[in-house]
Amino acid sequence: MFTFVLRRLVSGAVLLFVISTLAFFLLYLGSGDISRRILGQAATQEGVTQKAHSLGLDRPILVQYGEWLGNAVTGHFGASWFTGQEVSVAVTSRLGVTLTLVLGATLLSAVVAVALGVLAAMRRGWLDRLVQFLSIAGFAIPGFLVALGLVLLLAINLRWFSPTGYVPFATSPVGWFATATLPILALSLAGIASVTQQVRGAVIDNLARDYVRTLRSRGIPGSRVLFKHVLRNAGGPALAILAVQFVGMFGGAVIVEQVFAIPGLGQVAVTATGQGDIPLVMGIVVVTAALVVVVNLLIDILQAWLNPKVRLS
Amino acid sequence: MFRSTRLGVALVAAALALAGCGAAATQGTGGDSTLTLGVLVPATTFSAQDINWANESPYGQAVYDGLLRATPDGDIEPWLATKWTYDDARTKLTLTVRTDVTFTDGTRFTADVAAQNLLRFRDGNSPNKSDLARLADAKAVDESTVELTLTEPDPALLTALTQGAGLQESPKAFTSSTIKTVPVGSGPYVLDAGATVVGSSYVFTKNPKYWAPDDVHYDKLELKVYGDATALLNAVKGHQVDAANTPDNNSLDQMKAAGYTVNPLELNWTGLLLLDRAGTTNPALGDVRVRQAINYAFDKKALLKTVGKGYGTVTTQVFPTNSPAYDSSLDSYYDYDPTKAKQLLAEAGYAGGLTLRQPRSSLIGAATYTLLAQQLKDVGITVEYTDVAQGYIADLVGAKWGSAYMILQEESTAWKIATFGLLPEAAWNPFHYSDPTVVALAKKIQTGSAAEADQAAKQLNKYLVEQAWYAPWYRMESSFVTDANTEVTVQQGNAYPYLWNFRPKS
Repeated sequence: MFTFVLRRLVSGAVLLFVISTLAFFLLYLGSGDISRRILGQAATQEGVTQKAHSLGLDRPILVQYGEWLGNAVTGHFGASWFTGQEVSVAVTSRLGVTLTLVLGATLLSAVVAVALGVLAAMRRGWLDRLVQFLSIAGFAIPGFLVALGLVLLLAINLRWFSPTGYVPFATSPVGWFATATLPILALSLAGIASVTQQVRGAVIDNLARDYVRTLRSRGIPGSRVLFKHVLRNAGGPALAILAVQFVGMFGGAVIVEQVFAIPGLGQVAVTATGQGDIPLVMGIVVVTAALVVVVNLLIDILQAWLNPKVRLS
Repeated sequence: MFRSTRLGVALVAAALALAGCGAAATQGTGGDSTLTLGVLVPATTFSAQDINWANESPYGQAVYDGLLRATPDGDIEPWLATKWTYDDARTKLTLTVRTDVTFTDGTRFTADVAAQNLLRFRDGNSPNKSDLARLADAKAVDESTVELTLTEPDPALLTALTQGAGLQESPKAFTSSTIKTVPVGSGPYVLDAGATVVGSSYVFTKNPKYWAPDDVHYDKLELKVYGDATALLNAVKGHQVDAANTPDNNSLDQMKAAGYTVNPLELNWTGLLLLDRAGTTNPALGDVRVRQAINYAFDKKALLKTVGKGYGTVTTQVFPTNSPAYDSSLDSYYDYDPTKAKQLLAEAGYAGGLTLRQPRSSLIGAATYTLLAQQLKDVGITVEYTDVAQGYIADLVGAKWGSAYMILQEESTAWKIATFGLLPEAAWNPFHYSDPTVVALAKKIQTGSAAEADQAAKQLNKYLVEQAWYAPWYRMESSFVTDANTEVTVQQGNAYPYLWNFRPKS
């Protein structure tokens, strides 16, 4: 177990290095004249040159990369070129918002998908066909369209929720519910669709297995067979899909946070990338890559706990 | 089963009621004394030395006072500086400043503080630092008098002191490590750093010790950043903002339907920059007849309708309507006339046509470039585009292109227009083209009396149009929307109305 975790952490660190290096060079090569973009069209060329010098952009790219890497290793990511805010503060203050949405959407996906998948597998017939149809539809409809539809119907027309913005739970649980519900719903739709299909298939598959027939023949109640045995066996593959969805939801959050004007990591990632705010983008890249490594590791451990046949070594 | 259904219904109803209350709690409007404004960009910095203006002006105006103020029409009014006088040579400006103003950290505002702030702005890194490029020195003569020495007359200086260059920051904050995000000024509001999410929403509370309390119309101010047009539209439809700047005019009908008033303002002109007037990159552009032909080739009314969706006014001049240089007859100097365009090209020796190389950016709609090329093609000019990604502006001011489509701001004074794009050393005269008539008229604007300067500006405007320095299509109309409880007067020459011009509707 310890060796496994250590090995995964080392490979995660290597992955982090490769991703951040690639991101750094791609950003620098594709950002054009950053100083001009910061200062705008009214600035003189002298001002632009002075800005480039103050940001260190007039040095060779390898020197800049070396400096960034040296600072990053010690946890210093610098300050945003466009807002002056420390990158560590900008990222951590927004990470909580995005994690709230993504975790909420993951939880909702898991609960709804298990319920729908089990119902479809147990009842079959028209209900099964309906669930399958909804799953395909949910998978096919882009998240941002769902978000727009939800805003129009539930926030603007019915005024049940806030169309934009975000209130932290600690500030006001009621405000949080009003602002976070629609984004979580929009984010979770694709997750519900794919995990439902996975649960349905795995439950049907397991219900046909010999061990289920044996358990039933011993008089164990159907609900116990389902919840204690079938779902535990079906949970592994569903969990793998859910893990992929969790990572994918960070991508979905980029769009959803834009549409709902939520101050999360996705929103700032779009803004910072468009502006060429390299210190901030690099901070986001490192944090999200690290998050993906950690989540994958946790999922592997969870898989082993669910199914002892899976050996971490 | 029946019981659980009822329980479920009750839970859903409770949740929706909860959400309804929450939604109401997050509405931006509601008759309280909070002003919630939608802005398009976050604050680049709060450091007065490096501050940005235009769309970022409300951030600075919330926390800082300026030395002078501008009325919505651009007239200069006293503020921290109560009087100002120039010497005869117009190279020494003496300001009398208030002595009853205190910064929020308790530091007193004095003439010396004003002098320090002016020099810091000159030496700082603001996009508008060129506003004080002619400031040789600033010194406090006594506690209430500051003297500005200029290297040469600067007719735009007083206007600059109403903007970023005039903002006054506490000297104790100059060395603060948080100067970019935690401002210390004497302005009407104080930034609530705890409630602010940098880059997304900025919350300000009323400065309880503000020296001009009658000028503050709200107890709280919130600036919400909407980088996405759809999010802004949804915020307007959901009445989450009292007023907002719109990124374009695409959703105005929906905003009107939501009960908002559209306040229009012309800020920029769009069309073709004919930068290479000496013909360095393309000899054809050095011939005034070719440049005039290009002007005649554009069906500006059609371009306004298709590209600008009808929001704007057709023009062939680059001076704004509130400038003394403005001449309404120059709005139609080059009416669409392809026959005349062909004739002029033939006279210039290009009867067989010519080719212009121009940059193209994906940030601007492809239709604009297609129409531009099509209209020039109709008179025999072929446009060859090269796609440039991020470096569009850098390439233009770097003299890489002789002509290009562009949206340019209409500067607030004739002298600024000259220093921005006409004089040989101007940033937007990248080929450093020097025309003795332009230089002489600019000199008159710089050093002449007000009447002489106005007359010279008028002459300069006419000359530029006749010489076809540019090929403008139309002045673009931007829109600022306000809800039923808010009234505002838009600011000539600035993308965002000035904060003190927002009031609750009585």
